[in-house]
This record gives sequence, C-alpha cells and structure tokens, in this order.
Amino acid sequence: MNVLKVPARTIAVFVLPCVLLYIGTVFIPILVSFYTSTLDWNGIGDAKFIGLANFHTLLFEDNNFWPSVRRTLMYAVFSIVEIPFCLLFAILLNRYVRKGSRLVTIYFIPVILSNVILGQLWKTIYNPTSMGGMLNGVLVQLGLESWTHSWLTEPAYAMYALYFVSLWQYFGYHLLIQFTGVQNIPDEIYEAARIDGAEGFKADRYITFPMIVPIFKISVVLAFIGSLQAFELVMVMTGGGPAHATDTIATHMYNMSFLSQKYGYGSAVATFLVVFCLIITVIINFIFNRVERKVT
Amino acid sequence: MSKIKKWFVYLLFAILVVTQIYPLFWLLMYSLKTNEEILSGSFFSLPIVPQWHNYAEAYTSGSYLKYLGNSVLVTTVTLLAVIILSSMTAYAIARFRWKYGPYVMLLFLLGMMIPMQATLLPLMIIFKNLDLLDTRWSIIIPYTAFALPIAVFILSNFMRSIPTDIEESAFMDGASVYRIFRSIILPISLPPVMTVCILTFINIWNEYIVAATFISSENLKTLPFGVYTFVSQYSVNYGNIGAFLVMGALPVLIIYFILSERITKGMVAGAVKG
Amino acid sequence: MKKTGKVLALLLAGALTVGLTACGKSDSSSGASGGSSSGEKVTITFQNISPDPTTPAYKIIRQLVAEYQKEHPNVEIALDTLNTDQQKLKLKTQAASREIPDITMVNPAAQMKPYVDAGLLAPLDDVLDKDGLRDTYQKGLLDYYSKDNKVYALPDGNNIEVGFYNKALFAKAGIDAPPTTFDELLADVGKLKAAGITPIAIGEKDSWTGSFLFMNILLRTNGGPGFLQDVVDGKKTFNDPAFIEAVEAFQKLVQAGAFPDGATAIDATAGGNMFRTGQAAMFFIGTWETGSNDASTVGKDIGVFKFPTVNGKGNLDEYMLAPGSAYAVSANSEHLAETKDFLHFFTSNYPKASFDMKNAVGLGQKVDGDFKTAGYSSLAIEILDMFKNIKGGDLSFDNTMNPAVSQVHLSSIQNLFVQQVDPKQVAEEHQAAFEANK
Repeated sequence: MNVLKVPARTIAVFVLPCVLLYIGTVFIPILVSFYTSTLDWNGIGDAKFIGLANFHTLLFEDNNFWPSVRRTLMYAVFSIVEIPFCLLFAILLNRYVRKGSRLVTIYFIPVILSNVILGQLWKTIYNPTSMGGMLNGVLVQLGLESWTHSWLTEPAYAMYALYFVSLWQYFGYHLLIQFTGVQNIPDEIYEAARIDGAEGFKADRYITFPMIVPIFKISVVLAFIGSLQAFELVMVMTGGGPAHATDTIATHMYNMSFLSQKYGYGSAVATFLVVFCLIITVIINFIFNRVERKVT
Repeated sequence: MSKIKKWFVYLLFAILVVTQIYPLFWLLMYSLKTNEEILSGSFFSLPIVPQWHNYAEAYTSGSYLKYLGNSVLVTTVTLLAVIILSSMTAYAIARFRWKYGPYVMLLFLLGMMIPMQATLLPLMIIFKNLDLLDTRWSIIIPYTAFALPIAVFILSNFMRSIPTDIEESAFMDGASVYRIFRSIILPISLPPVMTVCILTFINIWNEYIVAATFISSENLKTLPFGVYTFVSQYSVNYGNIGAFLVMGALPVLIIYFILSERITKGMVAGAVKG
Repeated sequence: MKKTGKVLALLLAGALTVGLTACGKSDSSSGASGGSSSGEKVTITFQNISPDPTTPAYKIIRQLVAEYQKEHPNVEIALDTLNTDQQKLKLKTQAASREIPDITMVNPAAQMKPYVDAGLLAPLDDVLDKDGLRDTYQKGLLDYYSKDNKVYALPDGNNIEVGFYNKALFAKAGIDAPPTTFDELLADVGKLKAAGITPIAIGEKDSWTGSFLFMNILLRTNGGPGFLQDVVDGKKTFNDPAFIEAVEAFQKLVQAGAFPDGATAIDATAGGNMFRTGQAAMFFIGTWETGSNDASTVGKDIGVFKFPTVNGKGNLDEYMLAPGSAYAVSANSEHLAETKDFLHFFTSNYPKASFDMKNAVGLGQKVDGDFKTAGYSSLAIEILDMFKNIKGGDLSFDNTMNPAVSQVHLSSIQNLFVQQVDPKQVAEEHQAAFEANK
C-alpha cells in the first residue's frame, strides 16, 4: 500500500538522517570488523594481513567455537519454545482475569531490572547446598538429596541453569506481547464465532491463532535478538566458565577480542555473527511468510 | 468443574506473581543487610538490623543525583531521537512510492541482531576522529543507532496497518506530507511509539560497557557507573551496591507503573490486522 | 534523478558529520585544551582503578591530587575511576585509537609489553632521576616495568603470595600448626573437611585466583623459579615433568575437597570474604589483602604461613611475586611535562600517605617510620618480616606469557576445579596454545 507519490527530496528528508546515522554507527563499524577479521592484530600494535586464516582457525580448529554456537542456538530454541506458553497464559489471562494488564505489569518487572541484580539473585538460588542455595535447600527438604547439584559450576547443568533464568526473565516480556495481541482482537469476531458454535479453545484454534501470527513473529524476532546477544547475564553469573562450558557466541567474541587480545580473531567471530544473523533473519521471514499465507 | 479449573488458573497466576515480583523484595532486603549477612547466602532471611546507612552511603559516595541526572538526560535525548528518526523512516517505508523502500527495510533488519560490543573498537576510532569522545554524544549516538532497527521494524509494521483513506483525502486537500505525518500519523502511532520507548529504555538504562568506554569525565557519567563505584579491586561493599541498585531501579519502576497501561496497549498494537 | 539523489546523500552526510562535530566540540569544552606553557589552564586525565570510597587507595589518590592542585592552581587532575576489569577493557579500546589518558594503569612485564611496543607509553627515567625518586623503589622492582633499559611505569605496590589461615578454625579441627609440606596441607584439608569447615577459600569465577595458587605448586615442583621463562626461551616445554607433577598435586588438592563447592561461580571478592567471615580456614592470596584481613571480624585469629614444599621440593623463601599495577604516562600526552611533574609529586608522596593510612604493607617503595609504634598489627609485622627474607620467585602466569596463552591456561586450570583431567593432557593443551601463539 505504498500510495504516496512524493519527490525524491522529501524521501531524502524522511529517510536519510536515520539511515546515515545507522550506517555510520552500526554498519561502518561492521565493515571495519570484516576488514580487521583478516588481520593478525592484538588491537594495539602493528597488524599483519593474513587473509582468511582467522576464519580457518575459527571454523576448523577452535574447540570452543562450535559449542558456543550450539549454546546460542539452544538459547534461541528455548526462548522460542517459551512463546506458545506465553500465548496460552495470555489467553487464560484475557479470559479469566478482569484487570489482566495489572498482572502483566507485575510479570514484566524482571525485564526492567538490571542483569547485575538478577544474576546475583539467581546465584543465591543456584548456590551449592553448603552455601545455602535455595534450590538445593528445597530438594533436601523434599528428601531428594541425590538431586542436589552445584548448578552453575557443573558443566552438564550450568548452561541449562542459565537458559532457565532467561526463560524466567523474559516470560513477562513475551506474555506482554502476546497479551496485547490477544486483547487487540475485536470481540465481535468471537461473538460471531459463538453464534457459529465455536467457543473456548475451538475459537482459539480458528480465530486467536491465525490472528496472532504477526505478533508471534515479533516475539520470535525479539527472542532471537535476545539469544544472540546473551552476554551480560552469562558474564555476571558464570563468566562463560567453568572452562568455557557456558560460552555463547557473544562471550566468545568478547574473550577473544579483549582478554586473549586477538582482536583480528574476535572480529572473525563478529563477522560470523553478522552472517549468522543474516541467515536467521531470512529463515524467520521465509517461515512466517509461509505460515501467514497458510492461515489467512 | 469449571470452577475448579478457574481456581487452578488463579493459583497459577498467583504463583507467578510471587516468582516475578520476588527479585524486587529480595533486592530491598539485600540493600538493608550487612556484608556478612549477604555472604552467608541464605535466601529468605530478613536483615537482622536494617542497615539504612547503606542508603546514605550509596547516596553520598555514589554521586547518585549527578549520575541520575545524566542518565535521564541521555535517555531522554536518545528516546526523542529514536522516535523521530525511526518513525519518519518507517513512514517512508510503509507509504512512499519508491523502489528502495524494501532495501532500506532489509538494511535495518540486517543490523537488528548485532550486539553493541562488537562495534566498540571501530566506534572508538570513528568518535576520536569526530572529536566526540568523552561527550554525551558518544553514548547517545550508539544508543540511538542500535535502537533504530527494532523501532523501524515495529513502527513500519504498524503504519502499514493504518487505513490509507485519511491520508489520501488529506493529500487531495493539499496538505503536505510533513503535515500529514505530524498531525495524522504520529498521533495514531502513539501506542507502538510507547512500545519502542520501553524497549529502548530497558536496553540503555542499565548499559555500562559502552558508557564506561567512551565516557571519562566524572560530570558525564551515568547510573551504572555508580553501581560499579562500589566494586573495587579487592573489596566489594554488597549492601551499598544493593542500595544503589534500588535507587537506580526506582525511577524505572515509577515511570513503568505510571505508563504501564499505555505500554500494554502499545506493544505491537498495529501488528494485528483487526 | 538518480544523480541528484547521490549528490544529496553526500551533502547530507557531510552536513551530519559537521553538525555532530560541532555539537561534540561545544560539549567537550571541559576536556583537554590549550598549550603546555605553565601559566595556562591544564587538565590531566588520570585513569585509576580505586573506585571504592572506603578503601585507603581511594583516599590516598584524592588526598594527593588535592594537595597538588592546591600548589598548582592552573592544573586540574580529572579522575576517571573505574573497576579493574572495565579499566583494562577501556585502555585496550583506547589504545586501538592511540588515544590513551595522560596517566593510566598497566600491569607489569608481559601485560605492559604491547603498549610499550606500540609506542604508547612515555619513558619515565627523567621522572625517576629527579630528586632521587629511583632510589626509593625496592631493588629490582622497576625491572618488571622496563624495556630496553627504560622504565615505562611506576608500580603502586610489590606483593608476594602467602597463605593466610584462621587459627581458631585450625584449633577446632585439631591442627596445631600451619602446614610446611604439601602432604601436611592435604592432611589438614582432610581434618578441616571432617570438622565441617571449608578448607581453602577461593573465588575461581575470576580464574586468575586458581592460577595464582597453582603457580606456587609449580614454583616448588620446579625446584625454584623460572619455569615459564625457560618455556619462553625454548629451554623447556609444558610437557616437562615439573609441570605435570604440579598439575597432579593441584588435582589432589581439588579431589581432597579443599575448595568450596561451586568455586567456579564465586567472584574473587566473595571468595576472599568467605575467609574473612570465618567460613573458610585458609586463603592463598597476595599480601595486598593484609589490611582487609586485619580489619575483618576474624582479624585477631588470622595467621600467615609460607607455601609448603611439594614432594620435598622447593624453598619456602621463594614466593609468587606480585609487583603491582603501575602508573604509566601517555607518550602522546598534550601536557607531557605537567603530567610527569604530577606523577613525580604523586609517587614521591605515595609511601608516606600510605603509611599514614596503614596501607604500607606490600608497598613498592621504601618508607620511613616504625610500623610497630604506628599501630600496625602483628600480622602486618610478621608479613613485613617475610619480605626481608625473600630469596626470589616467579611472576604470575599472565605477567609472563602473552594474553592468548594465558587465557588458555586460566580456563585449563579452572577446568580442574570441575573435572578430573589427565595431567599430560593439561600439559599438552598448554604446549599447543603456546606454540600456536608464539
């Protein structure tokens, strides 16, 4: 529905300030990263051009890289799996609670608090029994002592412990999005459906779900962004440890660029991340275009 | 039967209220404890003697008011810039007849998932050459730029869903595009604009890495600096950090609760084609 | 049409840049400006890592800055105070754009090297030669901050790593003296564990802490200092028996349950606080912690011991040495003369100010004054005596090896906390990283 025919000058006024700022601050630095990814450079002294050697090491020799990609993807999968549950809650909230938005407001609180706070809080929950960890304390109370673990430091569990914090934190975020979506569906449609004999979950099947698809897309996109940028919470809670067991792409990039001082190599990770984003954006759009065509 | 179901649902919502509101309560308790109490690590305990002086110390030694003022200023300018820039571009993408619209959209989609830390070093060099280091611009610009993609995405989605007849008739009557944008489109778009505001806000209010890298002058520092003021090389004053965190979160919570009705309405309001 | 669009784009880009630059300039009027002649207003940026107002370091900096500004009304010292991690990140980023603050803080030896190599730091020999400042520094200390016979940074401290222990908790576990051999240490760990006490406090989320402890063992199994230097010089490899023996010994310590559960998620500071709140019986750390240990609730119970011999090897009077972070000056500083003058004032008065604030244990400079009459604790005095008999030692891993190898090492040691690994494999991992990052 691009209806307005306007002179090029007007388009420029509307678009250029935004695009230029964006290109200058986001895109040019990324292009610079593409360039520095071909260098052997510690970020301080002289740089040496080494072509694609960094990428070769990254893709084929770095034992910590692919696991970090896998964890980032898992992060995304968990975040996305959460969204249907949020939708379910949104529907229940809309149906059973009169002032549902009040509750949503409360559920949203973890999102606005700083990760530094949440990290410290969850540490006291995950702490080993000897340090009074809440989760382990509950397990002991229930007589499940064999289930207790040092949740953040056993490589087998640490990452799941982090996923869970994110799920908890972003529950209110996605609930808010889905709730608004559900609320914005006009009542008349449900009325009409009721006359046709569709009520409750049957109505959801034929009305709510199809109408909520675009909202779902926004949630999915936001969940992906959150996963790819999973950095602060990981840094606060485990620092990527023990021994890289909780590294994500973002923390790996940070470690390489600034701690190992292999800036060129870190740029290669950044470059990979950008390409990765590109692929994921294309995939999300493709899937949703199909879904949208199917349901509408 | 249905009553049982209803109570079950209520119970579920009540449990969630407890789990989601608990951090606030916990933080409040944390801020009133001594280091020893905090480090003993117990989860439910109340402070033995409330350490109100944690607040006094956090207030004075953390330069709370100065940092708060800077945070508010930086956040306000950023939000204004994001709203103006992204809504104009979103409008152009949603409505103008030009062939580069989709490409511009794609350009923004590409940048949507890139983390800010990835651009720290190149930005440093760019800002140095523009003589922007250690000015408020050096954080406002990246904060704004990194908020633009998602803002353009949400706003253009919304604007596409606005019926075109109003604009068309206004256009026929000779109103300029600028006028239409200002007095018709922007007011209608208020809900998604609120959404953009809250999304941007939660990303920048607690941001530390970019700020700490580009800002050096004491007079320009923002609230997250205050938190780290108490984290020194070999000692940490946990209660003070807690108190500072409470005071840092307070403005956010107040603003959030005042605006929450609008925010709930505004989140992606346009995406459902009603 | 297309052409005009392009031209317009360029014009706008230009306008935007100019606009931004203008804004930036008007806003940065508080920043550095003007020449270096003495009468003019001069601002010196001083990046430092002492953000906690309750610590002596914080107070000393502000006290000395205030004194200097009083004497030199035209000079303003602008403090950029950050926590350690953030300062490291910021300095690295600043270095990439070759714009480091007038005064900043660097770590010794290998960590300082990249900055010196890039020509970012100014030699400070003229500062040291003025009024005999050089002689106030302990013998040999400045070598860690030198390259090609020029000194590039002035350290704020010179510490060694010791074992602090809680006498009351030792007594409770039935131990009457701190260990002098590694086997005794293991036995004590067992007794403490049996008594329900965490034997050794550590905050291994900050992985340098585990490495710092591990390096003590290596110092012993190697029969003396210099293992890492030998590796760098190509005389040894990490596959050397001394290194493998050290890993084995360290694993025994982990297996014996010496460390708190979940150590790898504990911050360094929280780890220290476990000891200072009486939850853990031992704490292997630099003597920079003396003051805070003294001031803690269990302060009166705290004693100190030297790291034990391992399998009969090593000399008790050899220590892990920790020359402190150091003040460095930007070679491109606009006010080099003023900056150096301030640094001279600062470092000349630092020992006295530290002594007065009871912060003079582990100072890099000689200080006049009687510690006992000044009210220093017996713990502090015992440690000061240890300093007098130092027979040598090693620098920490990340001060000897380059950052890339250090990171592999740190995570490799961290891994030992959570799983058992064949020591040969640990050695192999180190050697591979060393060869890949030569």
